[in-house]
Amino acid sequence: MDIKQAYLDAAFPREGPKKRRGPSLAARAARQPNLQVVVICAILALMQILAMNGMVFSSPFITALGSTLIYSIVSIGFCLLLGYSGLASLGTAGFIGLGAYSAYYVVEGLGAPYILALLVTLAVSIVIGVSVGFISLRIEGIYLAIMTLGLAEIIRNLLMAIKPTIKIDLNSVRLFGVGVNDKAVFLLIVLTFAVLMVLTGNLIRSPVGRSMLAMKNSTSAAQAMGVSLMKYRLLAFVITTIYASIGGLLYMMYIRNVTTATSTLLTLTTSLNILGAVIIGGSKSLWGTTVGAFIIYGLQSMFLSKLEFFKNNPAFITMVTGLLIILVVMFYPGGIAQMVSNLRLWLRRRRYERRLRDYV
Amino acid sequence: MSEKRLLKRSNRYESLLRTWTELAALSAERVLRQAEAKADAEERRIRRDLAERNFAALDRDTVYQTLLSERTERENRQYLDLRLEALKAGRALTEEEAAALDASHARRLAELPEELDRLLADLPAPTMDPAEAKRNADAAEAEIRQMREALRAKAERDAEAARQKYDKRIAAAQAKLEAVEQKLAAERSAPAGELAEGLTLGVTDLKMYFGGVKAVDGLSFEVREGEIFGLIGPNGAGKTTVFNCITQFYKPTAGTLLFRTREGKVLDLTREKVHDVILHGIVRTFQNVEVVREMTVLENLLVAGSRQFTTGLFGSALHLRKLKLEEQVVRARAEKVLDFMGLSLYKDYLAFGLPYGILKKIEIARTLMCSPRLIILDEPAAGLNDTETAELSGLIRRIRDEYNCTILLVEHDMGLVMEVCDHICAISFGQLLAYGTPAEIQANKEVQQAYLGVDEEEAE
Repeated sequence: MDIKQAYLDAAFPREGPKKRRGPSLAARAARQPNLQVVVICAILALMQILAMNGMVFSSPFITALGSTLIYSIVSIGFCLLLGYSGLASLGTAGFIGLGAYSAYYVVEGLGAPYILALLVTLAVSIVIGVSVGFISLRIEGIYLAIMTLGLAEIIRNLLMAIKPTIKIDLNSVRLFGVGVNDKAVFLLIVLTFAVLMVLTGNLIRSPVGRSMLAMKNSTSAAQAMGVSLMKYRLLAFVITTIYASIGGLLYMMYIRNVTTATSTLLTLTTSLNILGAVIIGGSKSLWGTTVGAFIIYGLQSMFLSKLEFFKNNPAFITMVTGLLIILVVMFYPGGIAQMVSNLRLWLRRRRYERRLRDYV
Repeated sequence: MSEKRLLKRSNRYESLLRTWTELAALSAERVLRQAEAKADAEERRIRRDLAERNFAALDRDTVYQTLLSERTERENRQYLDLRLEALKAGRALTEEEAAALDASHARRLAELPEELDRLLADLPAPTMDPAEAKRNADAAEAEIRQMREALRAKAERDAEAARQKYDKRIAAAQAKLEAVEQKLAAERSAPAGELAEGLTLGVTDLKMYFGGVKAVDGLSFEVREGEIFGLIGPNGAGKTTVFNCITQFYKPTAGTLLFRTREGKVLDLTREKVHDVILHGIVRTFQNVEVVREMTVLENLLVAGSRQFTTGLFGSALHLRKLKLEEQVVRARAEKVLDFMGLSLYKDYLAFGLPYGILKKIEIARTLMCSPRLIILDEPAAGLNDTETAELSGLIRRIRDEYNCTILLVEHDMGLVMEVCDHICAISFGQLLAYGTPAEIQANKEVQQAYLGVDEEEAE
C-alpha cells in the first residue's frame, strides 16, 4: 500500500538519517597522496623501460626527463623552505655544487662506493644547513636571500679554485657493489624522487609541517603555541640543503661532468630557476612544484630545443621561460596549484548553480 | 643528567601518558557510540515492524502529522544545504538569488499540506481492534528492552576491552615518568623564590626598558589561583609589555616573575624560553589577531597541540602509527574545544576571509588546546560589536570554570572588565596606580585622573 509505505519510511527510515553516498573506491584511492606518488613514479619508470626497447620515447627525451626530475627533487626541498617556512634562499646552486663535488671526490679521489658519497654529502649539508639556519634567526627576508647568495658564490668560487672541471667515469661508480648504467641511474633518480616526495608529503601533513606553516604566517603566534623558531628554521634549511645536494649527487651520476667555466649549474641562474619553479608551481604544493620544475627545465630540454627555431636561437628559450613566469605571477600568484584548485572551485560552482536553478 | 634534560624527558612522558589515557577513553567512547547506534537502528527496525502490523489501527491525524514533519524537515535540510554549499563553493548569493531561494523554500513548505491532503484522501478509517494493537505494542516494547540490555552488556565489555588495550602503554609511560621524576627530585635546584599559597603568578618589581624608554618601571602585582584578573591603563601604559614579559617575548630588564606550576613547584619564568612557557600551561592571545590564515580553523588548533606530540622528525616523515594515534587524540581534543567555543561549523574553513569576531574566537580556542593554567588575553573585546562583547564576558567565565584556570586580561572595554574581573590592577606609565576589586578601582581618584588626563590629550 502506497500510503502505508510512505508513512513507514517517514516515521522509521530504514537506514537511519540518510547517509551521503561516499566517494567511490577509485576516487578515494586517487586522494591518497602517497599512492599518487607511487603511481606517477611507476609511470615514469615505465617510460624508461619503453624507451629501452626503442618504443615511443626517444632516449634524449628520457635523458632530459631524468635531469628535470633531478631539479624537481631540489625544488621540493626548496618548497618546504619557501612555501612552508617562509624563508627565502638564493643559495641552492651552491648546495647542489657541494653534492656534486663530494660525489666526485669520494668516487674518483677515494675510489669509494657511492653510498659513502651520500653520507659525506649528508654530513656536509647538515653542517651548512645548520649554519645558514642560525643566520636566519638574525636576518630575514630579502637580506637572508642576499646572504645565501653570497654564500653560494663563495662555495662556487671555492669549488672552482679547487678544480674547475670534474668528471666521473660511470664505470667507476658502484652501487651496493654492482656497476650501473644510464638506465639504472634513471630508475634510481625516479626512486629517489618517489621516496623524497613521500617523505616530504608526510612531513608537511604532520605537526612538523603545521608548525612550519604557523612560523611562516606569524612568528609570534607560532612561538606562543610552542613552536621553537630555532628548531624549525634550522630544520627547514637542513632539509633544503640535503635535497639540493642529493640533486647534485644524482647530477654527477647522470650527467657526469661539471665545468664551472661553461656550465651554469653552480651559478645564480640555477638558484633563480629553482625559485621560479617553486613560484610557478605554487609554493605550497609538492606536485605544483614538480610541474613548475618541468615547465622551467623540462619544457626547454624536452620540447622547445627540438624545434628548428629554438635550435637556431637558443637564447629565446630563456625568454619563453621568463614570459611564462611573468604570466603566472601576474594572473595566478598561487601558481599552477592555484590554477588547479580554481578550476575545481569553478566546477563546483557550476554544479551548484545548476542545483540552485533546479530548486528555484 | 642535567636538570634541563630530565625536565625535557619528564615533559615527554607526561605527554605520552596523556595521549594514551585520552586514547583509551576515546576508543572506549567510540565502542559505546557504535553500540548505541546499532541499538538505535535495531529499535527502529522493531518499531517499523510494529507500525506495519498496527497500521490499520492508526488514525488519519497521526499519519498526517508524521508525514508533514518529515517532509518539512527534508525541505529545510535541502534549503540549508543549498545555503551552506554557496559558502563552500565560494560563491556569495546575489540578493535576487537569495530572495528566489527563500521564496521557493516558502512555496514548497506551503504546498505540503495540500499535497498530503491529496495523498491521504482515500485513507480508510481505523479498522483494527485497539486492544490487539496494544498487545502488539507491548510485545515490541519488551523486545526492545531485552535487545538493549543485551547490547549494552556486550558494549560495556567491549569498551572495557578497548580501554584495557592501552593499559600496558599507560603503565609503561607512568613507570618511566615516575623514574624520571625521582631522578629529578634528586637533581632539582632550589625553588626560584617564595610565592604565597594560593597565588598563581607573582610579579615583583618588574622593569622593562627599551633604551631610554621605561615601558614598565617597577611594577608588582599578584594573581590568585582561579581568578579573572584585569590589567587596565591608558594607552601606552605598558600593559602589553607586561604580557610580553610574562610570556617571555621580552626578557625583562629586571624583576622577578614567579609562577606556580601544575605540580605546585614555583618557577622563575625569566629562565624559560618563549616557546616553552606553553608547557607550563601559560598561553596567550594577541592584540591584533595572529591566526595562521593559510590553515583551516581546525589546523590552527592542531598547531597549538603540537607540543603534545612525542613523535620526532623521522617518525613524522615516515608517518608512524604512533603519530597517527597522537594525531587522533589531538584532533578529538580540538573538535571538543571547537564545540565548546561554538566554532564547529567553521572547522574546515580557511581562516583567511573569516569574520574578525570568529578569528578572535579561534585565538581563544587555541589557548584551550593544552590544558591551560594561565590564559593571557590581550584585548579580547577589541573590534567586537556589543553583542559579541556581551557573549565574550560569559565565555571568559565559562572557560575559567570549565578549564579550571586563571585568566589574566588587558582590556579597554571598561564594562567588560568591571563585569568579569575579580581583581583589577590599574597602571600608568609602567607603574602601579591602584589594585583592588572592580568597585574599588571605579572609586579610585587616581585611576579616574589617569583616564581623564589621556582623554584630554586625545581631545587636543
